[in-house]
Amino acid sequence: MSRAAAIAHIPELAARLVSLERLEESRGRRTTGVAALDELLAGGWPRAALSEITGRRSTGRTAIVLATLARAIAAGEATALVDASGGGGGSLDARAAAAAGLALPALLWIRCAPAQALKAADLVVGAGGFGVVALDLCDSDARRRIADAAWVRLRHGARNQGTTVLVATSARTLGTAAAAALELGDGVPTFLTDGPPLFAGVKSRAARVRGGSRDESAREEAPCVSLAFTCRS
Amino acid sequence: MRLACVYVPQLALQAALRRTPEARDEPAGLLEVDGAGKKPRVTQLEARARRAGVRPGMTAAQARAVSASIRLYTATAADREAGVAALADVGYTFAPRVDSSDGGERVFFDCADLGQLYPYGETAIAQAVQAHAARLGLGARVAIASSKGIARVATRAHELAVVPAGAAGARGFLAPLPVEQLTDDATLRAAFRRWGTRTAGAIAALPVDAVALRLGPRGADVARLACGKDDEPFVPRLPPDALEEAVDLDYPVYEIEPLTFVLRGLVDRALARLAGRSLACAGMTLRLSLDPRGLDVRTVPLAAPTRDAKTLLELVRLDLARRPPDAAVVGARIIVEPARVRATQLDMLRPAGPAPDRLATTLARLAALVGPENVGAPATVDSWREQAVAVTPYIPPAAPPGGALAATVAAPAMRLTVRRKRPPEEIEVIMGRDGPTALRGSETTARVLVTAGPYRLSGEWWQPPATASAAATASADPNSDAPGGWAHEYWDVHASDGAVYRLHRDARDGRFYLDGYYD
Repeated sequence: MSRAAAIAHIPELAARLVSLERLEESRGRRTTGVAALDELLAGGWPRAALSEITGRRSTGRTAIVLATLARAIAAGEATALVDASGGGGGSLDARAAAAAGLALPALLWIRCAPAQALKAADLVVGAGGFGVVALDLCDSDARRRIADAAWVRLRHGARNQGTTVLVATSARTLGTAAAAALELGDGVPTFLTDGPPLFAGVKSRAARVRGGSRDESAREEAPCVSLAFTCRS
Repeated sequence: MRLACVYVPQLALQAALRRTPEARDEPAGLLEVDGAGKKPRVTQLEARARRAGVRPGMTAAQARAVSASIRLYTATAADREAGVAALADVGYTFAPRVDSSDGGERVFFDCADLGQLYPYGETAIAQAVQAHAARLGLGARVAIASSKGIARVATRAHELAVVPAGAAGARGFLAPLPVEQLTDDATLRAAFRRWGTRTAGAIAALPVDAVALRLGPRGADVARLACGKDDEPFVPRLPPDALEEAVDLDYPVYEIEPLTFVLRGLVDRALARLAGRSLACAGMTLRLSLDPRGLDVRTVPLAAPTRDAKTLLELVRLDLARRPPDAAVVGARIIVEPARVRATQLDMLRPAGPAPDRLATTLARLAALVGPENVGAPATVDSWREQAVAVTPYIPPAAPPGGALAATVAAPAMRLTVRRKRPPEEIEVIMGRDGPTALRGSETTARVLVTAGPYRLSGEWWQPPATASAAATASADPNSDAPGGWAHEYWDVHASDGAVYRLHRDARDGRFYLDGYYD
């Protein structure tokens, strides 16, 4: 191959090479899909570990979970959502999720009763090869009945399979089993008032309550961030 | 062409023994009734039973008097059928087409290309075939020859035989064999015996034309076979679309657990046959014969092809528990739909996804846990109904286009979605001049601080009126997808508990429903 021909292939080769960011990402952290949260969590959700996202209703928990899943799918990873909310019929709004950038055919969606949620998550994690498994317990009181040992077992599975397990709840549940925990609060809805009121979105604050950087100074600088979620395109 | 012949002597006995593999090391015999009102007599015997002194024609009591440890079986039609099918599967394990025109007790398949897989020669091929038959519970004799007739004779004479290629080699192989092994025709055997020809070699020395003149075309065929010449056509067939295993029970089974125990044997045998062909179970139909008559047919849906017996049995058990048979079960038949397990090529630049077989097993287990309708990929539905959603088969994501990596993927929008309640919950709402002012449901009681709406949506007025049953369903759940028109007024309300709810009023009856909340 001539030198000119080789040079012509450089952009193609560059596109196929693993970037430094990707290498870094593969070591310990996975992006949340939200730049401000990545900064707060010192790179994103920890890989091969359990993470927790808590908050009251309408604070943006689901939006963050879907953003994480969308980002993982876009990177070619297998993802699953164990949906124990919505009265057993699942709480996922497929249209809104697709509008948020989630490739629906690539998401394994498991609708189940709250009592089955942990078993289902265990099965998915145990299958191996899943990058992100989200466990939605936001509207379920099952979290109170789940023994700590069950979370520890799920954590072992996540560690062995290299899976990020993201648990969304309404209050802290995982305790020390979570490698990172994010608490959302102060949700303030915004309405457009040019004419009749029109719901526009929610502003909330996310605080890191567990995990993140080991650097104390860094933790002092960024304990929480403001987030703005929209509901219109 | 080189043909392998797999012969299972005493197929009926071996088919019955497949039911109880743990008794395979004990002396066994087959009892059959020769006519109505007669006592069942031993017709087939396993070698150990024969050595113990049991002989064909004995009654069960006589056989047990001779050998106390003998196990006597009766083979049902289902056993025989499953045995024949299992023997055919031995052939399909090694070849895509199999000739099983020999009454079911023999199969022939082309093994000329197997040399690529078994470089140590045809003896290794024959041993592999025999070992696989043993795995399926069949003690088989295997011979490899250049034609069907010669291979058939070789299986009568030897446990394992490789007949040299070419007429001269075959003639040399057959020469020492007695005439009894050359043909089943008693008339021909007697004629050859009268002539003083006791072996195939002696018959081969006779002129074929003279034999044909005296014994007709069948005699000529035997003479040609003795010379190593055989023109019997090889008629291979493709495997059947479905694979079946069946059992007839000695007494009715009333409970699910014992029935599951019976089905376990069927599932295990079916999966072993599938595994031999590198296939998995993509669907299963269960046909239960009921006492005194009747049939219970049910299809067990599978989310993905699997070879995991535990998962299949769990699905069957759940289905039986959900809808028990109307009467006691006296027979069971499973019809398994074979499918190839999806194969994938790993990508150096792509994260390794779940292994196809493990994923299939996991999907099946999840389906057993939460129901097959609750496992899959979400999909939007072409409908104006806001809560409409479908579940489609899950497909792991493909490699990112153009080698796109995580770093280059655009960040998804921070977009709120409505966390749906399915079905929507009926709530109480106090209406003011501008819309809802307070709401009370099972999980919340709150004042409304800000209201946006109403947004009026209606649809499906063009649908034909609902049937009586659908109307009954619709009245129980006004938000179901039952056909018929609907009209809703939607509001987004900021409640005093901090949440932003999506609710609607049904224009048909004025009731309010909570669709969910934004999150």
